Amino acid sequence: MLFTLAFRNLWRNRRRTLLTLSAMVASAALLILALGVFSGMFRDMLASATEQYYGHLVLAKTEYHERRDMFAHLDEEVASRYITAEDTEIIGISPRLRSFGLISLAETSQPVELLGVIPEREKQVTSLQTKLIAGNYPSEAVNNGALIGQGLARKLKVSTGDEMVFVTQAADGSIGNDLLIITGIFATGDSRHDNNLVLAPLGWAQKIMVLPGRIHEVAMTLADPMLAALTADRLNPRLPDDVEILDWGDLLPEMREVIAAYDVSRMIIVSILYMATGLGILNTFFMSVMERTREFGILMAQGMRPWTIRGLVLLETCLLGGIALAIGLTCGAVMTLYMQQVGIDLAGYITPVTYAGGTILPRLHAVFEAGNFYVPAGMLLLVSLIAGFLPANRAARLDPVQAVREV
Amino acid sequence: MSLIELQDVSKIYRLGSQEIPALTGVSLTFEAGEFAVLAGPSGSGKTTALNLIGCLDHPTSGHVIVNGLDLGTASKKALADFRLQNIGFIFQSYNLIPVLTAAENAEFTLMLQKVPKPERRAKVRKLFVDLGIDGLENRRPADLSGGQQQRVAIARAMAADPHVILADEPTANLDSHTAEELLELMRRLNREQATTFIFSSHDDRVIAQARRVIHLQDGCLADDLTISK
Repeated sequence: MLFTLAFRNLWRNRRRTLLTLSAMVASAALLILALGVFSGMFRDMLASATEQYYGHLVLAKTEYHERRDMFAHLDEEVASRYITAEDTEIIGISPRLRSFGLISLAETSQPVELLGVIPEREKQVTSLQTKLIAGNYPSEAVNNGALIGQGLARKLKVSTGDEMVFVTQAADGSIGNDLLIITGIFATGDSRHDNNLVLAPLGWAQKIMVLPGRIHEVAMTLADPMLAALTADRLNPRLPDDVEILDWGDLLPEMREVIAAYDVSRMIIVSILYMATGLGILNTFFMSVMERTREFGILMAQGMRPWTIRGLVLLETCLLGGIALAIGLTCGAVMTLYMQQVGIDLAGYITPVTYAGGTILPRLHAVFEAGNFYVPAGMLLLVSLIAGFLPANRAARLDPVQAVREV
Repeated sequence: MSLIELQDVSKIYRLGSQEIPALTGVSLTFEAGEFAVLAGPSGSGKTTALNLIGCLDHPTSGHVIVNGLDLGTASKKALADFRLQNIGFIFQSYNLIPVLTAAENAEFTLMLQKVPKPERRAKVRKLFVDLGIDGLENRRPADLSGGQQQRVAIARAMAADPHVILADEPTANLDSHTAEELLELMRRLNREQATTFIFSSHDDRVIAQARRVIHLQDGCLADDLTISK
C-alpha cells in the first residue's frame, strides 16, 4: 500500500508533477542524444585515423613507428607466426611495405608516402575503397596500379589511367623507380591522406625497393577498436624482443587523450545538467511535503515510524525518477537512432577539420554506446534520491503535535 | 494497574521567550472500558491532555504512563510503535488520506502492523458493516459526507483493536443529528466491544453522553465526575 500511496501522491498536483517530469525527461533524452552525437564525432575521428591509414593495431620492429627506418623490415609471413585463428577479435590483417619518395608527371613532382599493400587484404583494414571518387581500387590483376588521393591528383593534374613515375631509395643503395598507372582516386576529407598517400601493390613496391618478401608492418583491425590496448597487451608477450604491437592509442596519443578528456567532460556535462534538474525535483518535493505537513502528522499519530515517512517521500522521488528514466531513455534512444540512421549533413556550411590525428567530418551523426545510456540513467536516479532526501528528512523530523495542528 | 495514569503532569509551551502553561499539575487515571470526556472551554488544556495520553507529546514535568509505558523514557521510534499497537485517533477534521479510498484509509494501520492483506480486508469489511458505511469502501474521502468521513475515521481508529481511542472534538464539524448518531455509535462500540474512549469536547450535548466527565479549567483539573446511567 505504501507504493500505491506514493504513486497516487505523485499525481495530487498533476500539473506540477508533469512539469517536473517533462524537465527530467527532456534532460535525460537530450543528454543521451548529445552524448551519442559526441561519441559519433569521436568515432568518426578515430575511424578517419584508423580506418583510412593505421588500423587498430600495428605489428612492426621496435621503434619503427618513430624512425620509419627502411631497414627495419620483417618477413612477409610474420603475422601468421604470432596471430592465430583463436585471436577472433582480429578481423583483418594487412602486410605493408612503406616507402617515401617523389611522384612525377611531366614537370610536376610531389613528395609522397607510398604503401605497398595486398589490395584484398588492405580492404579488411582500411576503408579507402569506400572513399573512391573516380576509378577503381587497385587489384592483383594490374601489378603497377595505384590509388592516390584527391589532393595529390589535383596537384599533379592527373586522372585515372594516367601514368606517373615514382622515385625512391632502394634497400641496396640504388635509386628505385618505375611507372605507376592511376586506377583510382579517393577523397577522405583528411588533407594528410588526400595530399600525400599512394597505395600500390606490395609486389611492385618490394621490387623497386629491392626488398623481396619483406614488409615494414602488419596493420590489423579489430571488431571493437576500444579493445585495442587490451589486445596489444595480450599479444605482445608472444613476440620476440625486437618486434612489438602498438595500438591506435600508442600511434595516436593525442587521440587517446581527446577520448579520455571526453569521458571526463561527459561526466561534467551530466553533472551540471542534472544539478539543475535536481533543483527542480527538490523544489517540487519540498512544496509537496510542505503541503502535506498535517497529513504526515496524522500518519505519525497512527504509528508510522519516521523512517517509513522518509521512505515514503524517497519512494515518491524514485518513482518520478523511474518514470522519467523510462520515457527519457526511450526518447533518447529514438532520437539517437534517427541521428544514427539519418544524421545532419553540414558539408554545405563547414569543411572537415583535422584534430588530434583524426578528422572531424562536416556532419552530425550519433552512435549507440552503452555508457551514453547508463551514465545519464544512473545519474538521474542518483539525483532523484539526493533531491528527495532533504524533503524526506524534513517530513521525517516533523513534530506530530505541530504537524497535526498545521492548516 | 490503571490503563492510563497521569501523575502530577505539567506541560509548558515556549513561544520565543514566553512560556505558556497548557497543563498544570494534573493527575488522572483511566481504567479499561471507560467512556470519558475531557470538557472545558477553548484553551483549557483538553487537546494537550489528549496529545500526552496519545504519546504524541512529552510532559514538561510529571509522568504519563499508558499501558505500563512511561512516555518520558521512550524514544521517538518506540512511541510510534506504541501508538501503532495501543492507540487509535479520531480527529476533529477527520483527516483521512485523500488519495486513498475509504477502505484503504481504514486498512492503513493494519498495513503498518504488517497484517496480511486478506485478513485486513476482511476486518475492514466487517467494521464498515458495523459502522453502517458498507458500500462506501471504494470511495475517496472527497466523495463522502462529513458524517461518513468521521465513520471511516472511527473505522481507521478501531481497525487495529487499540487499547484506547482518543477523539479530539469528534463532532465539532458535524451537524447535530449526525453528531448524535456518531456519539451513539461510539457508545455502542464502547458497550459491546469494551473499547476505551476518551474524547474532548466543549459541547454540552456531547458531554451529557459521557459516563465520566473531567472538567479542565486553565490547564488545571477542575472537576472529575462519574455519572451513573
